Amino acid sequence: MNPLILAYETSCDETAVAVVRGSEIMSNVLASQVELHARFGGVVPEIAARAHVESIRSLTHRALTEAGVHPDQLDGVAATQGPGLVGALLVGFSFAKAIAWARELPFVGVDHMEGHLMAPRLQHADFEPPAVVVLASGGHSQIVHVPRWGDYQVLGQTIDDAAGEAFDKLARFMGLGYPGGPEIDRLAASGDPEAVKFPRALADRRYDFSFSGLKTSVVTFIEKARQSGTLPPIEDVAASLQEAIVDVLVAKTFNAVEDTGATTVAGGGGVLANRRLREKMAAEANRRGVRLLLPDPILCTDNAAMIGVAGAFHLERGDYSAWSESVDPAMKLGR
Amino acid sequence: MKLVAIETSTPASSVALGEGRTPVGSASQVNRRGHASFVVSALDFLFDQAGWRPSDIDAVAVDVGPGLYTGIRVGLATAQGLAATLGVPLVPVTSLDAVALEATTRHRHIWSVVDVRRGEFAVASYQPVPGGVVRDGAPQLVKPDHLRALLESDSQNALVVGDWEALPETVLRGLHRIKSGRPRFPSAEAVLGLAAGPAERGEFPAAEDVRPAYLREADVQINWKQLRKEGPWSA
Ligand SMILES: [Zn+2]
Repeated sequence: MNPLILAYETSCDETAVAVVRGSEIMSNVLASQVELHARFGGVVPEIAARAHVESIRSLTHRALTEAGVHPDQLDGVAATQGPGLVGALLVGFSFAKAIAWARELPFVGVDHMEGHLMAPRLQHADFEPPAVVVLASGGHSQIVHVPRWGDYQVLGQTIDDAAGEAFDKLARFMGLGYPGGPEIDRLAASGDPEAVKFPRALADRRYDFSFSGLKTSVVTFIEKARQSGTLPPIEDVAASLQEAIVDVLVAKTFNAVEDTGATTVAGGGGVLANRRLREKMAAEANRRGVRLLLPDPILCTDNAAMIGVAGAFHLERGDYSAWSESVDPAMKLGR
Repeated sequence: MKLVAIETSTPASSVALGEGRTPVGSASQVNRRGHASFVVSALDFLFDQAGWRPSDIDAVAVDVGPGLYTGIRVGLATAQGLAATLGVPLVPVTSLDAVALEATTRHRHIWSVVDVRRGEFAVASYQPVPGGVVRDGAPQLVKPDHLRALLESDSQNALVVGDWEALPETVLRGLHRIKSGRPRFPSAEAVLGLAAGPAERGEFPAAEDVRPAYLREADVQINWKQLRKEGPWSA
């Protein structure tokens, strides 16, 4: 049926609106707040919520115009229900729900993480389970086994910092500002990933991650090297710490591929925009002969098209949200 | 003219329907975290009762605060969504005006108080006039001591309405000319009452000018340590 969905994502610091038809992107627009938050060294929830209110109306207009869609044509409206910042979530969820109600359309509250899981469908409509999906961003690091859509088995996750958080915290320590992940990616491109051997934590656990030990190790290394006057070039440290994070993510993902027998592996979340991670995921998938589906970086980071494709799935199954539903900032994926 | 009013700027939430200024139905609840669950489901119920359809709406009145930031945004985002998709105008109303309009006396000077948290209160004073109230000046954001000083300097007999129960007891103690009264929270019916006139006269601001009345900047703890741009590699 390929329903036509107007979709919203406002769980953190991007106001995003999209129009999708099934898994086809008709438009996908966003207003990034990165500059608003950068001067505070991180996302300020109240500033995020205020900015969402300022831009959501005009972004909706833009998304519909770019898609060439009149609201009369819509089959439903979807919005991120959680997890995320409560004040930020409430803006998109309330706005979207009002549109759905006013147009007498079904409304679907979507789990943000399910959006990331389904994002590869936006470019590969034939992406079907069973699959293993690695989700890594500033807020989450999870390995999910998907035996069928709607059934999500979280095999492993971080026991402390998320992968993106580790990137951001280390970048901050290195004086690289906010957000630090992309900056480390950039520096690492001209560095030697073997220059410093940082630890790969939790080698004894098949799917779980830990990044706080790496953080301590990098900080200790830099402080000692600075004292002894042996500080390597910043590019080498960036490449080496990036390698440690990437190695762990790749190893755990493919542990899951091995154990589940999945022949498709996919990824989502801002960390999957990291070039070295994409490179090593591709090499490992190739070596094992499994299909790898990584969305373009713009669809790995937060966007509303992914909420639309997940919304379309639920709409087709008839699972709508009641008008009395609200956001769930601590929403948890699957089982 | 079919109007919808949305009020979510305090721990209470309410919605009302009106044919012009004549109320057709209303619903309310008090639940500080319940704004987003309440508004659209209450509208849905009231529209059913009234036999209205969403496409019948001619304008949307909304309380833009001051008050609870999150509540204000839920109400405004809902109102924006309705107005944008139905192609109808918004009529903004302030919470203090809505509280003052329903003050239980018409014989005293009125002080309207809304709790905006973190030890601050939004206040404005009003003169009762036939059929309503007229605000003396722009709303202010004050700490309790400042509010007491304002009340002490009022030479008229006055009534404090709104969330005065949230004030420290010392603010109202021993002020002989001052009484306290209802309502505690603004209502969507009051929002409707304030919006009906402008709506009937076609006085609508541009949609992008209808914004939350926060009265203060976002509270931000700047973490200077996180902000430093020099690191171990700077000279
Ligand atoms: Zn995300």
